[in-house]
Amino acid sequence: MDLPLLTVIVFLPLLGAAVVALLGNAQAAAGRAVAATVAVVDLALVAWLAMRFDVDGGMQFVEKLTWVPQVGITYHLAIDGMSLSMVALSALLTVLAIVASWKTEKNPALWFSMLLLLEVGMNGVFVAMDFVLFYVFWELVLVPMYFLIATWGGPRRQYAAVKFFLYTLFGSVFMLVGIIALYLQTGTLDILEMAGAGLDPTFQWWVFAAFFLGFAVKVPVFPLHTWLPDAHVEAPTAASVLLAGVLLKMGSYGFLRISLPILPDAAAEWSTFIAALAAISIVYGAAVAFAQTDMKKLVAYSSVSHMGFVMLGIASMTPEGLNGAVAVMFSHGVVTGMLFFLVGMVYDRTHTRMIAEVSGLSAKVPVAGGLLAFASFASLGLPGLSGFVGEFLSLLGAWASDIPVGWVVTSAVGVLLAAAYMLWLVQRVVLGSPSEAVAGITDLSVREVAVLLPLVALTLVVGLYWDSLLRFTDPAVRSVLVMMGGA
Amino acid sequence: MTVGLPHVLTLAALLFGIGLYGALSRKNAVHVMMSLELMANAVNLNLVGFSRFVTPEAMTGQFFAVFSMIVSAAEIGLGLALVIAIYRRKRSVELDAVQELKG
Amino acid sequence: MSMDWVVLIPLLPALAFTVLAPLSRAARARLVPVAVAAVLGSLGLSIAAFLAVWPGGHDAVWQGSFTIAHIGDRAIPLGLALEPMSAIMLLVVTVVGACVQVYSLGYMHREDRIGWYYAVLSLFTAAMLALVLSDNFLGLFMAWEVMGLCSYLLIGFWHEQEAPRLASIKAFLTTKVGDLGFMLALAVVYAEVGAFDFATVLHHDWAAGTATLVALLMLFGAMGKSAQFPLHVWLPDAMAGPTPASALIHAATMVAAGVFLVVRAFPIFEVSGIALTITLWVGLLTALLAGLLATVQHDIKKVLAYSTISQLGFMFIALGAGGSTAALYHLVTHAYFKSLLFLGAGVIIHAAHTQDMREMGGLAKKLPVTSLAFASGSLALAGIVPFSGFWSKDEILTVLLHEHQYAAFAIALLAAFITAFYVARLWFRVFTAPTQQKELHEGHRSMLAPMVALAVITAVIGFFGPTLGDFLGHEIPWPALGTAAISTVAALGGIALGWYVYGRRTSVVNTQAIKQRFPHAYGVLANKYYFDLTYGYFVVGGYTALTRALATFDARVVDGVVNGAAAAWRSLSAAGWTFDGRVVDGAVNGAASAVKAAGDKVRTLQTGSVRGYQTLVAGAVVLLVIWILVKGA
Repeated sequence: MDLPLLTVIVFLPLLGAAVVALLGNAQAAAGRAVAATVAVVDLALVAWLAMRFDVDGGMQFVEKLTWVPQVGITYHLAIDGMSLSMVALSALLTVLAIVASWKTEKNPALWFSMLLLLEVGMNGVFVAMDFVLFYVFWELVLVPMYFLIATWGGPRRQYAAVKFFLYTLFGSVFMLVGIIALYLQTGTLDILEMAGAGLDPTFQWWVFAAFFLGFAVKVPVFPLHTWLPDAHVEAPTAASVLLAGVLLKMGSYGFLRISLPILPDAAAEWSTFIAALAAISIVYGAAVAFAQTDMKKLVAYSSVSHMGFVMLGIASMTPEGLNGAVAVMFSHGVVTGMLFFLVGMVYDRTHTRMIAEVSGLSAKVPVAGGLLAFASFASLGLPGLSGFVGEFLSLLGAWASDIPVGWVVTSAVGVLLAAAYMLWLVQRVVLGSPSEAVAGITDLSVREVAVLLPLVALTLVVGLYWDSLLRFTDPAVRSVLVMMGGA
Repeated sequence: MTVGLPHVLTLAALLFGIGLYGALSRKNAVHVMMSLELMANAVNLNLVGFSRFVTPEAMTGQFFAVFSMIVSAAEIGLGLALVIAIYRRKRSVELDAVQELKG
Repeated sequence: MSMDWVVLIPLLPALAFTVLAPLSRAARARLVPVAVAAVLGSLGLSIAAFLAVWPGGHDAVWQGSFTIAHIGDRAIPLGLALEPMSAIMLLVVTVVGACVQVYSLGYMHREDRIGWYYAVLSLFTAAMLALVLSDNFLGLFMAWEVMGLCSYLLIGFWHEQEAPRLASIKAFLTTKVGDLGFMLALAVVYAEVGAFDFATVLHHDWAAGTATLVALLMLFGAMGKSAQFPLHVWLPDAMAGPTPASALIHAATMVAAGVFLVVRAFPIFEVSGIALTITLWVGLLTALLAGLLATVQHDIKKVLAYSTISQLGFMFIALGAGGSTAALYHLVTHAYFKSLLFLGAGVIIHAAHTQDMREMGGLAKKLPVTSLAFASGSLALAGIVPFSGFWSKDEILTVLLHEHQYAAFAIALLAAFITAFYVARLWFRVFTAPTQQKELHEGHRSMLAPMVALAVITAVIGFFGPTLGDFLGHEIPWPALGTAAISTVAALGGIALGWYVYGRRTSVVNTQAIKQRFPHAYGVLANKYYFDLTYGYFVVGGYTALTRALATFDARVVDGVVNGAAAAWRSLSAAGWTFDGRVVDGAVNGAASAVKAAGDKVRTLQTGSVRGYQTLVAGAVVLLVIWILVKGA
């Protein structure tokens, strides 16, 4: 029998988390070494899986065991290109988060074990093909993230953590209702079996609404986004990276994996509404980002804007749009991860995130300033860098779909507004003469550069050769569309 | 004279009675535990005796006795550990010295 | 023979960028020769490519492509094609690029960030070369955007100062407004045709309506990049960048990319018809209004900037009138003579330590080589035979007459007159007016040599017009005597007026008096038709205010609802708590206190004495045994 690779990938970090917790704060150095090793091994396993992955093979590395046969719950893991890109992102960002937070001094054992526990949930969500399993992983993610924010966060961490927890829980309760409704209707809890079940359109509409609330909070879509800036501002750097890089994608992944294939008729009905919300998120997020005075909040609102492009691509329900959506998901994880890391590194040195107090980074710390400028250009969608791929494809798909032209044009304006807030940030923070807070700081250490380099490389590779990502996502996306059409 | 079931039962009853007396009359916790062992072994003896004379082909009673001995060994280990812990706090193994659970 | 080496033309400068960019400041500065070598290599290969295409005609002699993405059943290739038009453009870009890079060795040698300057210049060159070689709209767009980035970085090269910083962001965002049009055009093209390559898109059977939509969206993009009214505002400010960079990017190549795009997409414009008319009038408006603005500027670079806008307007006029070859011809000649003028301006600025023409004068004697080269460029710009500008401008006028666009012809002629006037104004003020400064030095050899090369090209290239036409597979006739005469009269008239106002030694016309006599007209010009003020107040100011309002809205209303819901839930639960405590819990507590009272009685049984418990247990067992015995009996 083959090695159950997916199980190992998902649960290896759990083992790691247990070991790190048992080692305790007394042996924190050993603990973080274990954490780093486990995360690196996990990433290596994902890479190995990607090499053995057959891009045209559909769902693969399937593991299906009965779990609670009385109600048809199975332990069903499988992976396709879409999942793979997300698992890769999660595994990579976990490694980088661990390396970036290497010097955590407050309760390091709990910190590193929580990061690993978070990875269990994140990896699990993207490969679970059974609703109960999916839901368990989905909720599992909340717990470590809650502790990461509430224990290591900023001054208002309690408020932000509780808000994050309750808001997403609020959404997922509706999702649970949807899952139960689907189970009662179809008698199965297998996500893949349920696809193309040809459910009654009215029933679909209501279930779609329930899932929509669950996923839209997570994405987040305007006007359900306000937990995001608070959570980001209070969260420690590594948690911000994982929150923006992976957790937000769980919502859009839910749309792609569950809402579209299982509820195609409702999806078609909702598409204009989703496109409208997407366009509003794009423009609104960009406009609010422009007015921010806190770097982290600016990046947080930029996430709202970028995730709008994901939703736009999803709403288009065309191959271009869905590929674009996954590409934005991936690229946003990489680029925004980079931005959060950089903002955190600047904060570690200047002890402020206020844009007004930081300027002239490129003169004083050229490596940090240059990388921040690079990340900003990637974020504003410069062709040749990864941000462009997804946004462009989303727009292509949206134009070719039934989405009213007005919303597409509104979304396109978001590209301009993104340039406005990103450049305005670069203008004030990177360029100019060093401010007082910047005057005495040192440039990035080797460890910090090592955290950023993989992200820089990915940004370039995906931006210059789109197929490096799309060859994985395109077959998966096509099968989603086939399932939608087949219903 | 062959040894029959009544002999075994009598011996077990005597052992049990000695154990019970010891458990009730002794103040020293170690003595109490030794008495408890006597009672437990009286029971084991009964088990083996019944098994030997009632259903000789099935070894149920013997197995049960062995199992019971393992459990009481563990139990004694735990009990002695508790006695030592009590001794550390109270400098005494007298049972009357421990009355924290008084309601 | 395989011609895959054509790929190296854009690749060499790109590699130079890749080598330079990640290095430290000092290491970059040492490796500047790498960038220069790369552009010279590209120049050599471009000449080879030109010879390979010679003697021209229509077809591409080489094509190579790379599939960047597969989506569904469609592949999206990014291809390069070497055909006559791209061969001509390659020469323009590499010649000007090489001249500028050699010139910058002298001009920028005191800058400690010279390495970064060369890195960006290389990236720009690579992008521009990729743009002209691209055989599809997507690749063109990507290169177009990368050029925008380079333009941003070079305008803001001296970012420690406020003005370049603001100018760079203004340039990027204003062109990005146009780029939105281009991007949407790509979306329409993709939805309609399903491909981006020129061959498929241009041979598609376009409906007039869709063609108009695509053409107008592309025109909007071109207007942003080529600084046409009303998106021209960024170009004069872009002069805050280093002068040689202005010569390359904001005079010769990048700003001409808009024109190039329209030339590429010309068949779509022709199907539309309306789009051509709009192009024509955008060009006319720009040529005239920007020319007028050039007449009131005191900053020598701004005069040249407005002149560039005006000349790009001429190219749009040609396009609008249906003369794409004329437009391309003017693009080529303009690239050479305008970059020459900018390089000359750089020497002048270095010598005079000012950009203000009012503080210059008498430079002709002090800077003999520069003044001669500058004269070549000026005469070309003014349109005096036999310098290059004359021929191409004349070609544009000929097209207008040929298409019976008489109103447009008149406006273009007026713009040509104004051009000659501001050229004369600049020349007389800078070179012949009374000397105001003592210490003036001619530029370094590395700066003069590229200028001389460009001056020679400017002087002779006009004679090759018909050859160029044949090469492109179109006709560029020798100018008809009539139009040539009319345009020469207009140009000479402009120069004469300029001389009358600014050039005479004896009685200098008091320009102050003119200002006082026509205060409103002068005010309009001095305020650049209030474009900057309007945009600054309404667009930038309005957007900033809107974003602040939205941020407040987000915190108060959107988040307020969430927090309100939480607060409401809290108070509801507090009320519930009271109810719970008094009523629900009251019953429970009542039961509990009863149990507690009973417990108080029973607790006395708990003696805490182990032996007591044992006795109890043993006693109970005895009782139990007795009970069993009694019951059993």
